[in-house]
Amino acid sequence: MLQLADVHTYYGNIRALRGLSLSVERGEIVTLIGGNGAGKTTTLRTILGLVRPRRGSVSFNGARVDTLATDRIVRLGIAQSPEGRHIFPRMSVLENLELGAFARRDRDGIAPDLERVLSLFPRLRERLAQKGGTLSGGEQQMLAISRALMARPGLLLLDEPSMGLSPILVETIFRIIQDINRQGTTILLVEQNARMALRVAHRGYVIQTGRIVLHDAAAELLRSDLVRKTYLGEK
Amino acid sequence: MSRGLGPPALAVALLAYPFVDRALGLQTVHAVSDGMIYTLLALGLNIVVGYAGLLDLGYAAFFAIGAYAMGLLNSPVLGSPLYGHAWSFWVCIWVAAAVSALLGVVIGAPTLRVRGDYLAIITLGFGEIIPVAIRNLGDVTIELGGWRPIERLNLTGGENGVNPVGRPHLPGVPFETDPVPWYFLILVIGAASVWAMNRLRDSRLGRAWMAIREDETAADCTGVNPVSTKLLAFALGASFSGFAGSVYAAKLQAITPGAFEFQVSIMLLCMVVLGGAGSIRGVVLGAMLITVFDRVVLSQTTFLVRAIGRTVGVPALASIDLTLWRWFFFGLGLVLVMLLRPQGLAGRRVQPIAGADDLDEPAAPEAPPPARIEAIPAWLRERVASGPVGHGAAILDVRGVTKAFGGVVALNAVDLVVPRGGIIGLIGPNGAGKTTFFNVVTGLVRPDDGRITFAGASLVGLRPNAIVARGIARTFQSIRLFAHMTVRDNVLVGEHCRLAASVAGAVLRPPRVRAEEARARERARELLAFVGLSGKDEELARNLPYGDQRRLEIARALATEPRLLLLDEPTAGMNPRESETLTDLIGLLRRELSLSILLIEHDMEVVMRVSDRITVLDYGTRIAEGTPGEIQRHPRVIEAYLGTGVSQEPAVPGA
Repeated sequence: MLQLADVHTYYGNIRALRGLSLSVERGEIVTLIGGNGAGKTTTLRTILGLVRPRRGSVSFNGARVDTLATDRIVRLGIAQSPEGRHIFPRMSVLENLELGAFARRDRDGIAPDLERVLSLFPRLRERLAQKGGTLSGGEQQMLAISRALMARPGLLLLDEPSMGLSPILVETIFRIIQDINRQGTTILLVEQNARMALRVAHRGYVIQTGRIVLHDAAAELLRSDLVRKTYLGEK
Repeated sequence: MSRGLGPPALAVALLAYPFVDRALGLQTVHAVSDGMIYTLLALGLNIVVGYAGLLDLGYAAFFAIGAYAMGLLNSPVLGSPLYGHAWSFWVCIWVAAAVSALLGVVIGAPTLRVRGDYLAIITLGFGEIIPVAIRNLGDVTIELGGWRPIERLNLTGGENGVNPVGRPHLPGVPFETDPVPWYFLILVIGAASVWAMNRLRDSRLGRAWMAIREDETAADCTGVNPVSTKLLAFALGASFSGFAGSVYAAKLQAITPGAFEFQVSIMLLCMVVLGGAGSIRGVVLGAMLITVFDRVVLSQTTFLVRAIGRTVGVPALASIDLTLWRWFFFGLGLVLVMLLRPQGLAGRRVQPIAGADDLDEPAAPEAPPPARIEAIPAWLRERVASGPVGHGAAILDVRGVTKAFGGVVALNAVDLVVPRGGIIGLIGPNGAGKTTFFNVVTGLVRPDDGRITFAGASLVGLRPNAIVARGIARTFQSIRLFAHMTVRDNVLVGEHCRLAASVAGAVLRPPRVRAEEARARERARELLAFVGLSGKDEELARNLPYGDQRRLEIARALATEPRLLLLDEPTAGMNPRESETLTDLIGLLRRELSLSILLIEHDMEVVMRVSDRITVLDYGTRIAEGTPGEIQRHPRVIEAYLGTGVSQEPAVPGA
């Protein structure tokens, strides 16, 4: 479904991705784990066309997308919940959610989806009329994920969805990730919480300094020495 | 201004220029002198716009105030007693600068609460009011029931302006007949101003302006008083235009209200933006380019085009006046600069924004350096540990704090005590009021009710920067560094409230100030080494990888020499390795510095490991308080917050 082949992405002179290749098949949850500065967010930004690869290609459903504008890519069916909670602070929670469905054609499907995300996050229902910017950090995180879900994307990119959430909500979030995957959404998941990410994912990639250094079934990665030492914090 | 051959060559060129001009018969000295006056104005505006980030659309008003102060003090129009004395001019320029600075404060004060667009509109209004007032104060009559205490007083010369204005006198220098002495007079004032501004920028005050520009809230919480800092920017910016205006009045010999219209403010703003806001070199360049273009290039090109028109016999060209098109060319030039070089001609190039975490970190990207006891700066050990509080006493004592936003009760009668040298965890569901609690303690939000006592004194009602000075520092949940300042300057802003340099000190740099600044830089270097950011001093904060930004925020907080540190989700977005390193750092700070710490954190491994006691909030109410063990077993905490604990289990291979 999604294919990155030998992607090199730069910020000015800084090489952020150095020949990164990965693929996501329809129906999968694939996780990308790695340290800060390894290139995880850059990978997502490259997929969405927010930065352009200098070399290599990004294909979605068999067609090259690395030259398309971001809004075109989103209309093809990729949505992202960005790290850092880029919500619309002066619009209400409801308006934020409605904007998530902006590019959708199936008007009838929007209302049930709104109901679905609100039942996933009851806290947002309590705050529907509040301005996005007045939510607490964790609530903004819920809103960002919900807004991405409202696009009902074929491929959902999640950037650190568990960041800043309470332990109980972290569990909820990962359960939700599995739920929406079962309902047919393919997911590329970037996470610091490698343990939880590898538990829900089918496959995983380990990224270091802009390259994939390890790639395997998620259960295998949980057993690998590299992952256990570096990302699970085991001694 | 630049390195190598630059400064001497520039000085020679500036000194030789009027004589070259005379030898060649160019007659551009007048225009260039005027250009230098505008340069001085643009430099003053640069303090307000470029450094402090306050958009001022009415800056020409201060130019007018300087010019009229000189005009009224040193002109026969009002029958000024100063007029005609040889020393008058030299006294009046200082008076004009002082008057402008004073009005800068008067006008600045009511505008300080507003920012951005609103501030711009207010200054726009002020810029309109001054010329109108000047026009209408030429014939003042006050009548009180038949009694006229003031009758037909000519305060400003009205539409006709003030004419003549007294000239400067120096024995043997022909200010009356020759433009060259004016050139050198303005050159001296301009050079002195550039020198002073350079020193201000590299001082405690310059850093405070830039911190306000970058993030006013973060600056406030780092110990910079936004009110006095912004007022100082207004006052200093205005005083430079006071000098410029008074020299302008004396040089022109006549001032009229038309010289200070809105368009002048806009032209000055163009000079700053064209050259690069915040860069002295850029602003000088921008101002000289625009004036020389306006005064020399346009008129000379007009002559040229007319001559061509006459030769080829095209009447339209022969009678063209390109100076009428000046605003067209200005507009076009600005559009081009903004499209091609938005940082201005000499502005610092900013790298494209990387993702919040992604930048190259070639050396050992997966292993941040662990904090070491030996690396704790000795001065920090000394300053932080030597608090006046008796051992065992609570350093922070919060009782019954309540805060509601509209109908939402964010905090409901919350009690919390941090013992001296203790680490208290503050946890709770998202939206429970944890960050609001931090905002109340740090003075960003005023509680509706309750007491907050720090080291025995109440904090309620104090400004955030005053609370920092008392010894409470914080970090932010979503990192709030001064993004376009260097790593070192970020830490130096943290030291702001422990430094004392005044305006005079920053400009003149007496030994005391020099020593203070050198010590501050040395401390910044040590702090950066301590948190593991050695060698990155000169990088812009925004270009650091995410984990480094978190560490820099802690270094900045430590630079304020706190006795209580509030950390808002310090390990958010870090992997277990990095979290562990940070946890060690927190433990080290407490053990070695007896630093008291209040910690908001969702990573239970971190919270349970470092906290002595934990307070749990839910919907703004404290639902539990106790040791980590008690909290982990507390049924309400499990239900509202911890969950069944799946995420806390160690990984089961093959699960």
